[in-house]
Amino acid sequence: MILTLLPALPFLSILLGAFVLMLLSHKKSISLESFNVTALFFLTLALFFELITFGLHSGDYLYPSIFKNFFIFDEFAAIFDVMFLIGTIFTLLVNSDYLKSRNYFSGEYFALLLFSLFGMLMLSHAHELLTAFIALEIASLSVYALVGYHKSKKVSSEAMMKYMVLGSLAGVFFILGTALIYALVGSTTLESIALYLHNAEEKDITLLVVGGSFLMVTILFKIGAVPFHSWVVDVYHGAPYPITMYMASTFKIAIFAIALRLYLVDFATINSFWLEMLQIVTILTLIGGSFLAISQTLVKRMLAGSSIVHSGYLLIGLSSIGLGSDIAAPAIMFYLIAYFLSAVGSFGILSFIASQSRRQMSYDDFKGFANRRPYMALMMTIFMLSLAGFPSTIGFLGKFYIFSAAIESGQILLAGLGIFTAFVSVYYYFKLIAMMYFYESQTDKQKSFPLNVSTLSIALIALLVIWGGIGTSLLSFIPGADGFIDLAKQAINSL
Amino acid sequence: MSADPFFLLVAILFSIGLIGVASRKNLFVVYMSIELMLSSVNLLLAILSQVLGDANASVIALLLIAVIAAEAALFLAIITHLYRENRTLDSDRFKNLSKVR
Repeated sequence: MILTLLPALPFLSILLGAFVLMLLSHKKSISLESFNVTALFFLTLALFFELITFGLHSGDYLYPSIFKNFFIFDEFAAIFDVMFLIGTIFTLLVNSDYLKSRNYFSGEYFALLLFSLFGMLMLSHAHELLTAFIALEIASLSVYALVGYHKSKKVSSEAMMKYMVLGSLAGVFFILGTALIYALVGSTTLESIALYLHNAEEKDITLLVVGGSFLMVTILFKIGAVPFHSWVVDVYHGAPYPITMYMASTFKIAIFAIALRLYLVDFATINSFWLEMLQIVTILTLIGGSFLAISQTLVKRMLAGSSIVHSGYLLIGLSSIGLGSDIAAPAIMFYLIAYFLSAVGSFGILSFIASQSRRQMSYDDFKGFANRRPYMALMMTIFMLSLAGFPSTIGFLGKFYIFSAAIESGQILLAGLGIFTAFVSVYYYFKLIAMMYFYESQTDKQKSFPLNVSTLSIALIALLVIWGGIGTSLLSFIPGADGFIDLAKQAINSL
Repeated sequence: MSADPFFLLVAILFSIGLIGVASRKNLFVVYMSIELMLSSVNLLLAILSQVLGDANASVIALLLIAVIAAEAALFLAIITHLYRENRTLDSDRFKNLSKVR
């Protein structure tokens, strides 16, 4: 009997970890490092369970006698789980320096982080709309609280307020869509929706199309696509660096987990209804995001604006799925990894600098950065090149797959616009590189490279970015990017 | 008895909520508008449960109440916090983020 819970061990250990940290957090005598190590222990445990059960329970449901078919276990969800877990581990490792430099962090920070991770894990396994909604709310409510974690800072509270009002408003549409779909189908499990769509005639499914569009509103809001983007730059700016990193990378992957599951499998037969809407949103996202990113002077806000553009690239992949491109879904998964690595790296360097000084980092503060910290500047350059999509970095391969998917499905306009915005993005990414290398520093003192957990994990991410870009062609015996694409294709087929 | 008037009621409540979020300045009223929207969806689910003769929708409505309560806890916390810090709840006064370029 207890064996039926075996595949759920990853998220049970995360939940256990979250409760343990929550219970311990009132003890002031425990240091932040101990909390960090405890959180990392539970994360590694979950990752270990995830890896040993990988592919063993394909198509099983969790505890069917109680949960019926609400939670599914397949390779698709497992790949996403691994991404969330690695993302959270990197977030904790990279920020271990930043945590020490700020006095407002406490044990609850780690508990909230694990609770939101638990919500994301549920989200990737959810096979029923209400389960998906509750999982999304668990993840979002914890992230709302984390955004406002710096209580005494006015911007932080303000960002939390903005995010909460708009995020709950978007959440209402998800549940309204669920109710409308329920009204037509009589059930909210994804299986029965797909079955209904298979048998229904076109005139019967109006309510389902409306409901599905409402679900899409929430998804587009959470990834920051353009008509729903007004929160992104402000919230990313107001949140503490670790949370910004977490939202830009891990949380965005989680939303795509549910989006891919919904639009790849269950709404696959009626994807054409949303196609034009999705294409217009994509065009707006690419152009609007570029404008936002160009106009910023703070590097953190520029990265927030550019994250909207990256959502736009991912949306190109999503609309290619509707046109029957085979490579589109694996391309989205690959791009998520590529963006996640580069974003964690670049936000990690920002949080490293922020842990040394209290300044808000504008472009001007980076003048002469290469003289002061040559290795840090080198890594930042690698991340910027990867975000801009330069060859020999993982970002280039991600964009390559996305644009091939767009061309394969005949969306030449979107592919062309994507390439154009990639050129525009060179402006705001290379501005930072130029600031670091071509300007004199005010304090011309070279500092040594500090060897600690944060900097070493940033260096590891920088190596991964390079390896993802060139590893396949130089070292043939090490699995590279192609290996992941094959894995992703296999996972998509398992859906 | 036909269920149509109830669906109309749901539509009216939802629209009032949406208009409230869009047009009111006081954060507390904005929060109440969001709650109104969520509750109207809950009412829709209760009606559907009656119309379709299926208990599933009632269960969904019950679960949703828990979600709404969790959201209320966070909302009330941030509203009291903002009032303590700024002595106002007028959403026009929270402009620190839009000042930075």
